[in-house]
Amino acid sequence: MKSHGSALAEDTKVLDRAVAKRLVSRSMVLAIAGVALSALAAVVDTKRFAFSYLTGFTWVVTIGLGALFFVIIQHLTRARWSAAARRHMEWMSGVLPACAVLFLPVAVLAHDIYHHWMGPQAANDHLLQQKAPYLNPTFFYIRAGVFLAAWAALSLWFIKTSRAQDESADFRPTAKMRAGSAPAVIVFALTISFASFDWLMSIDPHWYSTIFGVYVFAGAATSSLSALALITIALHKAGLLRKVSNVERQHDIGKLLFGFTIFWAYIAFSQFLLIWYANIPEETIFYRHRWEGSWKVVSLALLFGHFVVPFLVLLSRHAKRSPLVLGAASVLLLVMHYVDLYWLVMPNVDHHGAHLSWIDLAGLLGPLGVGAWVLSLQAAKSPLYPLNDPHLAEAARIDNP
Amino acid sequence: MSATAPLQVDPPRLSDRAALLDEAPLVQGKDDFRSLTDKISGIVLTKPPSGWLILFCLAISLLLVLGGSLVHLVGKGIGIWGLNTTVNWAWDITGFVFWVGIGHAGTLISAILFLFRQKWRTSINRAAEAMTIFAVACAAIYPVAHLGRIWFAHWLFPIPNQMSIWPNFKSPLLWDVFAVSTYATVSALFWFVGLIPDLATIRDRATSRTKQIVFGILCLGWRGSHRHWLHYERAYLIFAGLSTPLVLSVHTIVSFDFAVSIVPGWHTTIFPPYFVAGAIFSGFAMVVTLMVFARKAFGLEGLITTRHLENMNKVIVATGTMVGYAYAMELFIAWYSGNGYERFAFANRILGPYSWAYWTMVSCNVIFPQLFWFKKVRTSIPAMFVISILVNIGMWFERFVIIVTSLHRDFLPSSWTYFRPSIWDMSTFFGSFGLFFTLFLLFVRYLPMVALSEVKAITAAADPHGSHSNDEAHHAA
Repeated sequence: MKSHGSALAEDTKVLDRAVAKRLVSRSMVLAIAGVALSALAAVVDTKRFAFSYLTGFTWVVTIGLGALFFVIIQHLTRARWSAAARRHMEWMSGVLPACAVLFLPVAVLAHDIYHHWMGPQAANDHLLQQKAPYLNPTFFYIRAGVFLAAWAALSLWFIKTSRAQDESADFRPTAKMRAGSAPAVIVFALTISFASFDWLMSIDPHWYSTIFGVYVFAGAATSSLSALALITIALHKAGLLRKVSNVERQHDIGKLLFGFTIFWAYIAFSQFLLIWYANIPEETIFYRHRWEGSWKVVSLALLFGHFVVPFLVLLSRHAKRSPLVLGAASVLLLVMHYVDLYWLVMPNVDHHGAHLSWIDLAGLLGPLGVGAWVLSLQAAKSPLYPLNDPHLAEAARIDNP
Repeated sequence: MSATAPLQVDPPRLSDRAALLDEAPLVQGKDDFRSLTDKISGIVLTKPPSGWLILFCLAISLLLVLGGSLVHLVGKGIGIWGLNTTVNWAWDITGFVFWVGIGHAGTLISAILFLFRQKWRTSINRAAEAMTIFAVACAAIYPVAHLGRIWFAHWLFPIPNQMSIWPNFKSPLLWDVFAVSTYATVSALFWFVGLIPDLATIRDRATSRTKQIVFGILCLGWRGSHRHWLHYERAYLIFAGLSTPLVLSVHTIVSFDFAVSIVPGWHTTIFPPYFVAGAIFSGFAMVVTLMVFARKAFGLEGLITTRHLENMNKVIVATGTMVGYAYAMELFIAWYSGNGYERFAFANRILGPYSWAYWTMVSCNVIFPQLFWFKKVRTSIPAMFVISILVNIGMWFERFVIIVTSLHRDFLPSSWTYFRPSIWDMSTFFGSFGLFFTLFLLFVRYLPMVALSEVKAITAAADPHGSHSNDEAHHAA
């Protein structure tokens, strides 16, 4: 395993200390500013802030979850190309433990967000009475605790085991993580699905869709791959990674991003077509709300921004290999993932049309700042790629003919 | 790259690292390029084992059962089936969805695993793709037979006519016609393009004039020049890229046949991905069933190794668990909806008159495949054979449960009924296995059943630089 050292000599092992420090301090400023702005918004308009914050929070948590999924699936499939990418996704999944703290405002404001079924009027609603064994505050908080604890435990375990391999130059941690990945993916699938039902679908507690968990997962996978593409491009630009991650690996990430963009559209279209076609009022109301007034523009923006444009752009091999084009597509998809969540949450507040407000920005910047800060802490202290991954040489060599 | 280089990777290299990291070589045995070619083309060019003839006769007999059933159907009409006004779709569409689903594994192996650089696919992709085409052929029987008046079968297609009668473009049944026929066409082309280099090998080795001419025509004048290979590789990649969305679209549209309706138990948004996962699940089970036999019968244990079977079993447990996830979501959301009709449809499935079918489905599809979590089970030939058969049974029951249990309790309780298949339902379905096995047996006899040129590229002999680390040995092709 020592032989990798010479082959990968061009790769930087850890961030330069000054760079790391600058990264952490800048993101900390962003975190402080974001949290302060969030606090101000919470005081000014608590009700709107509750929804805006939920949107921002789910944006961060889904990116972390997409990253955790990537880590798990690389181990599950015994992937050999993705050593460096896996490390960067480990950083990103590191925001999940922090999400337990970021969830607190949602927990506190839950009665505002889920007022339909948490409020007193639920007692007069026959349907909600039927759902009460699931949709009740106590069980909601218990479930949220289980989800957040499971994600924190999974991400910390994979990070810890992977870092242990950096120190020990042993291949056993790889075998261990592979063995752990199979049960982990089941825990992941169940928690992300029910978290989607709880946090997003139950805002409108009469509406339901069996595919909803898969829909949120598709957005999580797309957005985390977009963030991964940006990290990869940044590390290449800075000249820090040349061998273990190179333009071929960027191409691979682009291919996955392209695939998941289609997957998102496939899931979104499946949900839309089936509901539109059957035309049952209790289901179509969801799309009805999102087709009123200026929400129509947001819906169309999703169609084009989350699918048509990135699909056409990423179809090309040159685009996936170009840092500029792939980077631009990634930024677009990250923005569209926020728009997607905004489109899920905010029509419950802004009926008959979207009304942008600075409070929405505040609700995003708080979680975003904290997420960026935690991410940069990870990047600052951990090696830039898994130093002793058994397949590093291969990751450096496989190309895309 | 000497033709006699041994394929076996140095045994000491298979250390604890290899064992822990799953690095057993992809192909085993002492075959070199020449003996590999001898073995595979030998199946085509020499007399088949007597067992083949016996199986072929059995398959032909079953095929005759299908033929007889269809002739009777054309004579009498679909009244010979057990359908009634409430359950107006049963074994016919169950058989259709069952066979279309079986086909999906072939495309997954040949196209999707290719895009994911999974080199173990090379030993099994040819046979699995053949299976795809034969399964689609079996599926195609049902929509046509269900017409009753099969002489109007061309009306399935939007053909301009003087009466301006068109099929309903808003119906997923018409989308099925487009999806399945496109899928069959592209799969057949993909399969044939992949066959060309190997057909040329057979041509070169054929001793009889007839075989030389037939394979000479089939291989389209392949000479193995650099330019040929360049075009071949490019075409292969394009076909893989096209087949991937195509295969997903096929079972998605099959799921639309049900899910666009407002029938409780049919109308649920998770149907498209759930059907696709189920299709891959059932297809892989069929590949395992067939490969367990074929590798033994033709002495291909070195090419289709335990590792191949184990990988397929892992795909089975993964997709089976996805199907289990879909069952769970359906049940949960049916309860969560608070909708009385939804709740009834699912309670009726679990506890109603067809509960025996529901629990057969759940045991075969969700519970038994979980045994593959144990390495002992997923590497044991008898265990995987039994489980793969159970999965096939379970997936047939899944379609039956979805279709019949949702229909047999109509919105009008006076229409409630219990569906019983007639002897013709059964003979048509079991007869379709005759078609499938006849085609498959002809395929293993007359065409190279393993993709020779692809398999050679992953042998150790194809890596003349002799990699230092085992992990690179079979990936440097």
